[in-house]
Amino acid sequence: METQEIQQIECNHCNGLISINNKYCNICGKEQKKDQTLIDSRKWPGLKQIGLFFAIELTCCVAALSIDNFDISTAILFDIIMAGTAVLFFSYNWRENAHLLKWPNFSLKKTIICIIISITASIIVQFLVEHLNHSLFNTDYSYYTIYKPHKYGKYIMIISVALFPALFEELAYRGYLMQKLLTIVDKKEAIYITSILFFFMHLSMTSFFWMLPFSIVLAQIRIRENTLWYGIIIHFTFNLTVCMMEISTFDTLI
Amino acid sequence: MEYHTNSCPCCNNKHESDDLFCNGCGFPLKGTQQEQDFFYSERNAKEIDLSDLNNNVESARKSLYWIAGLSVISFFVGYFTAKNEQDKFAILFTSVILIGAFLAFGVWSKTKPTAAMISGLSLYVIIHVINAIVDPVTIFSGIILKVIIIVYLIKGIRSVLEVDKLKKELNIN
Repeated sequence: METQEIQQIECNHCNGLISINNKYCNICGKEQKKDQTLIDSRKWPGLKQIGLFFAIELTCCVAALSIDNFDISTAILFDIIMAGTAVLFFSYNWRENAHLLKWPNFSLKKTIICIIISITASIIVQFLVEHLNHSLFNTDYSYYTIYKPHKYGKYIMIISVALFPALFEELAYRGYLMQKLLTIVDKKEAIYITSILFFFMHLSMTSFFWMLPFSIVLAQIRIRENTLWYGIIIHFTFNLTVCMMEISTFDTLI
Repeated sequence: MEYHTNSCPCCNNKHESDDLFCNGCGFPLKGTQQEQDFFYSERNAKEIDLSDLNNNVESARKSLYWIAGLSVISFFVGYFTAKNEQDKFAILFTSVILIGAFLAFGVWSKTKPTAAMISGLSLYVIIHVINAIVDPVTIFSGIILKVIIIVYLIKGIRSVLEVDKLKKELNIN
């Protein structure tokens, strides 16, 4: 005799035995997928929280953009505000986010590959951006001009341009935002939304050709490896290479 | 063991002959005419809700195309009133990217509505915030239209989530 094993559970209303796949109890007619209903009811509040996060990030970025005399102290101030926002949102959802800070399958090989690829990508992007800015807008833009007047300018620049964004942008976008979106939409949509918002927040249209692919790659690595650390390393190395190239153009490295 | 499978008259889900209720939609298979009629009327009300929500999603999708259209108008106004060649080039450059982006979001919203609408709404808000910083008067120009577009997009995003929920409840895909 052919037997078909279907896992059975108790109905949440009449306690009768029903198939686990039932959406409704076939004995009393009550809805069964309460967990799913609960998940669905949390989606809209989740999106509203993302809206708040987006509003704070946008306010900071636009405020930074609108300041005329953007100097070293304003740069540090905005770094601290952005870092605070990232930590606040990440830790507010600590239970769902904490596992991202672990590094379960550490691989030295992967880490080295990440570093080499991000250095190469950074050099190529830097070259292209310089060329693009020069030919399209006839301008040369350098981060280092902000930090140069200070005695320890180059070290502050490395902290402000390489270390802080790597740590806190990853914590905010691939950490908090991605994890929250995964409870609302599917993986693919979560990858696209985080990447697009990450690109928008930099308020630079010309960086479209490299920043969007860059953030999609970071998001995909974060989903595949289930840790933030590869993203942080790639982001840090990428930005550090930019810093090094700029410092070496205007100053000595050490 | 012999099974007698029938289809639910409401959602076509297969059920056993001795089931009292459909396990897909909760229809009272062995209920009285009155109970079944009541179930149908409740389901009808939800189906009307579903169609309203689908309309909201459709309006939000259309508003992405509307933004693209409005950007075309503002491009022409900006381009022909620009003072020098450099301004003209900057307006052309940004307009092409923005119009392209909103059209792309509009097309994309067919397959990935949440992602496309969230991205479209964010970009729309960013543009107007930046415009307001550069020239504060721009906040008030066409403010009603701006509010309508933002409301439509927010309603659209919410409706996509509600549609998913209702479809699960009604056991339809």
